[in-house]
Amino acid sequence: MLEYESKEIFSKFDIPLVKNILILKGEDIEEKVRGFSFPAIVKAQIAIGSRKKAGLIKIAKSTYEAISLCDEYFNITIAGFHVEAILIEELVTIEHEYYCSIALDTSGRQFYLIASKEGGIDIEEVSKTNPDAVVKESLSFQEGVSEVLANEVACQLGFSGKQIVTASQIFMNLWDIALNLEAQLVEINPLVLTPLGIFAVDGKMILDDAAAFRQPIVQKLQHKKLTALEKLSKKAGFSFIELSGDIGILANGAGLTMALLDVLSELGLQPANFLDVGGGASKERVYKALELIFKLKPKAVLVNIFGGITRCDIVAQAIIQALNDFSNAPPIIIRLTGTNEKEGIALLKEANIEAFQDVMEAVKKVKEVLSEQDVYN
Amino acid sequence: MYITENSKVIIQGITGKQGIFHTHLMVNYGTNIVAGVTPGKGGQEIYGIPVFNTMKDAIQETCADTSILFVPARFTLSAAMESLIAGINMTCIITENVPVFDMIKLVEKAREKRLHLIGPNCPGMLIPDKIKLGIMPSDMCQYGDVAVISKSGTLSYEITKAIGNSGIGVSAYVGIGGDPVRGTTMREAVAYYSEDANTKIIVLIGEIGSDEEEKTAEFIKSNVSKPVIAYIAGKSAPEGKRMGHAGAIISGDFGTAKGKIEALKAAGALIADLPWDVPKIIQKLT
Repeated sequence: MLEYESKEIFSKFDIPLVKNILILKGEDIEEKVRGFSFPAIVKAQIAIGSRKKAGLIKIAKSTYEAISLCDEYFNITIAGFHVEAILIEELVTIEHEYYCSIALDTSGRQFYLIASKEGGIDIEEVSKTNPDAVVKESLSFQEGVSEVLANEVACQLGFSGKQIVTASQIFMNLWDIALNLEAQLVEINPLVLTPLGIFAVDGKMILDDAAAFRQPIVQKLQHKKLTALEKLSKKAGFSFIELSGDIGILANGAGLTMALLDVLSELGLQPANFLDVGGGASKERVYKALELIFKLKPKAVLVNIFGGITRCDIVAQAIIQALNDFSNAPPIIIRLTGTNEKEGIALLKEANIEAFQDVMEAVKKVKEVLSEQDVYN
Repeated sequence: MYITENSKVIIQGITGKQGIFHTHLMVNYGTNIVAGVTPGKGGQEIYGIPVFNTMKDAIQETCADTSILFVPARFTLSAAMESLIAGINMTCIITENVPVFDMIKLVEKAREKRLHLIGPNCPGMLIPDKIKLGIMPSDMCQYGDVAVISKSGTLSYEITKAIGNSGIGVSAYVGIGGDPVRGTTMREAVAYYSEDANTKIIVLIGEIGSDEEEKTAEFIKSNVSKPVIAYIAGKSAPEGKRMGHAGAIISGDFGTAKGKIEALKAAGALIADLPWDVPKIIQKLT
């Protein structure tokens, strides 16, 4: 999620932000910045780390400077990403930087309100170097952040007077965001104290992909961050990650696929992708997976299926069909075992395709096939 | 008790495609399936098993104590909640892509009622030759004294089958699932089988993401005297990429295979470098 997207959510949930304007690509920059007071910070909205280092966050002293910076940013492409929006924010005098978040400890299955007097840096770092500066309160899912708790934490952070009310309201609003958007993390870092009040200067959120069916914002963001091939695979129902090697991988089960990649890597073989075809894959899904892998132009494809909810006979049918349809398909090395294994292997045998029952034998075969290709090339 | 050969099982979502297919395999295995539940399909029979509209009706008629869900993700919260409210001792969620917040609500209910919940996105549980509550292959191994606890499905089939092929028996196979929030954590499962009289050795199959293995290692260090063997998948996984499972993601240096292996090693666990090394290590112990 980009900075401005987090801030749009913050603003919807009444978390105070410094005065700002958002310019989307294609909008009239001059009209937008007219009347805004400078100097101000101009921040390009792009999905890369350390924008400051890349010169994508700069101070503009005048309207003129801001406009030319915006023009410059909108024409930049870095690592395939372009700047889709620009956020211009008022310069404020920072008296102190704090940290606060609502975070789910997934393995502990427990939400926490975490806050610190030391903000602007990684909270993990603060926990290590100065654990006393970090306040961590467990939350019950029913109650969330109560006013009493929020006030207490605000006091522990050293806020005084009216600031306590503002800060504790921010903590309560963070919980509202987490609850409403089903977020596992809602973080403000830093939360700054200025002569004008308390503001959220930067933020981060982790939403739940599985909740996309009832969270429109998740759908919107999900779609944006995927590459073309990843969109294709998502639609087909399997998980796919492009890697840099030359052996196409079709496997089932995330753990088994990962273990297979580990084994290949250790033997000096380079996988071209991670592809978990998913539980209970249909013939169409396996076929589409093969089609996608062929697009990567691998030297060989290793299919490793251990059928549980996935049926070996269905996988075999898909492979046979794909080999029929794609005359220029790379060599496919198959390992099939598990549910309906006998039927699957029988089908492959009928089509004169060899199948292994042991993974290491299949991996050895991949190595052989690759070295044969090297001899001919 | 999680499950025993006497567990009386209800299949929630028995009339769906996956429900029918796996009910058949479980019946063949000898699992005592006493009822199915699909709202609106009450009165039907699947393989001679009566189907009810609600969990309450099904329990009243059959005294069931265990349930397994083959229900789409968006209906899992209400189906599993119905099972917990009805007082089912072990509710097993096979379904993938269950929203995290739904799991949090279910875990709170299970805690409150002191009932067991396992999954989601898991293959279920198996006590070889006695009961199969899940979708794992039926012929992986025979009964014995090694408990297998795994985050992953297929990888654990692979390892359990290798264990079985080398003549070693399994006291229980438990798939805790690949999602970030689990009904039963790895630490809880290890705690359970470290007390289980039928289990002499514990095998852990972990993967990148979360700090389940690290927390389990902490527990093992001071509480478990039985030998623990661990295999961790994802040693070659890139940072910041979700490797198939919702929970399998490395962020910075959190959730790496290296960190987990080091923590488990320090707790005295034996580490298998390859999945197929697990049975070899067990054989050395016995």
